[in-house]
Amino acid sequence: MCLAVPARVLSIQGHEAEVDLSGVRRVISVVLTPEVGVGDYVLIHSGFAINVLDQEEAEETLKLFRELDEFTATMYQQQGHSASDEVH
Amino acid sequence: MKYIDEFRNPDAVRRLLEWIRERSTRPVQLMEFCGGHTHAVLKYGLRQLLPPAVRLLSGPGCPVCVTASSDVDRAISMAHLPGVVMSTFGDMMRVPGSSVGKASGRSLQDAKAQGADVRMVYSTLDALSISRANPDREVIFLGIGFETTAPTVAAAVLQAQAEGLENFSVLSLHKLTPPATKTILDAGEVQLSGIIGPGHVTTIIGSDAWEFLALDYGISCSIAGFEPVDILQAIYFLVDSIEKNTPAVRNAYRRTVHAEGNLVAQRIMQRVFEVRDAEWRGLGNVPNSGLALRDEYATFDASRRFAVEVGPSAEPKGCRCGEVLRGVAEPSECPLFARVCSPEHPIGPCMVSSEGACAAHMQYGEA
Repeated sequence: MCLAVPARVLSIQGHEAEVDLSGVRRVISVVLTPEVGVGDYVLIHSGFAINVLDQEEAEETLKLFRELDEFTATMYQQQGHSASDEVH
Repeated sequence: MKYIDEFRNPDAVRRLLEWIRERSTRPVQLMEFCGGHTHAVLKYGLRQLLPPAVRLLSGPGCPVCVTASSDVDRAISMAHLPGVVMSTFGDMMRVPGSSVGKASGRSLQDAKAQGADVRMVYSTLDALSISRANPDREVIFLGIGFETTAPTVAAAVLQAQAEGLENFSVLSLHKLTPPATKTILDAGEVQLSGIIGPGHVTTIIGSDAWEFLALDYGISCSIAGFEPVDILQAIYFLVDSIEKNTPAVRNAYRRTVHAEGNLVAQRIMQRVFEVRDAEWRGLGNVPNSGLALRDEYATFDASRRFAVEVGPSAEPKGCRCGEVLRGVAEPSECPLFARVCSPEHPIGPCMVSSEGACAAHMQYGEA
């Protein structure tokens, strides 16, 4: 019910935007996300964009896993235990 | 697909599972509030991958499932009124109302089979289109859903007002998630050490809305997205907070969830709706947990415009959906589960919606 899927904004006209949803073009309402711009990724729920996705935060989260993996490996070698406590 | 594939990465999943295993020293019970999480947890087999000390329970976060049978009965009666088009989301079509034998049928789908004009829509915007195309009909939108959906319905009401669409109205059965969570904790039927917070509800209301869990109940909450990496990160945060004995609200869905939420959506929701008590299937009457249209929007309020009589309502005999929604019973503990109640022939609402715990257990074979 609360399902929402990411889609890229192709164009905006007033309160409506055309988005690319996994290759399918749809027109949605952006009345709940007035800050949206062309090229942004939005979360779509029930025909409305409910938020603009924060690309930097998404990359930060993924980077965290990559870095921690390297960090954990180093710690294992040096001290023989995990550094997972540092995940925040 | 961007923002999906990378959060299904098997290496990240393996790593998170290792961290959870290393961090976990004591048994914990975590409730995933949201039906979308229940679905994802079973789909990806996360229960089997987690260490045995980490137990996941399903919660009441399936809007279709928690809609009271008396409200379903009301919607069915309205659908039978002359000149009415009843529109709603797909899952709502098959939800059984009262089990008391009624000539009007047990679900909106039955009502449709009997000649009522019931239409499935993808969005409230579709209901507006039906209203425009049928000026001689009364188009009612059956509004169900939590804080994720309510702003979209509020926006449709404002749009209808701006266009002067007089034949559009909403039967609001919208519900709020924090009061339901409080009700489950206050009842004390299940001992919870942490809650996996609903990612899309919290996109709207903001993670600050869950601070009461840490402050008032001493329980940790971690907001999660719906991919395996998101959910496992939230579980890691919860296990970590529990191990540290420091209840906290932590955000494992940072690409869309912020402390304050979507303020524009909140304002639109508050402009159209006011908070009321609401009846939940499984939880009963929950104070301040429902949304009703404000007096200024009375002309768009189907409950004021269309008076219908509904008789006494009753739950399907033997159905333990209410207990499943409170995390007290697993679907397999219900005597009807997989025997007489199946996705093809659902008896209770938890088997109807794909997000319902019973339907998810059937689909992914965890019977």
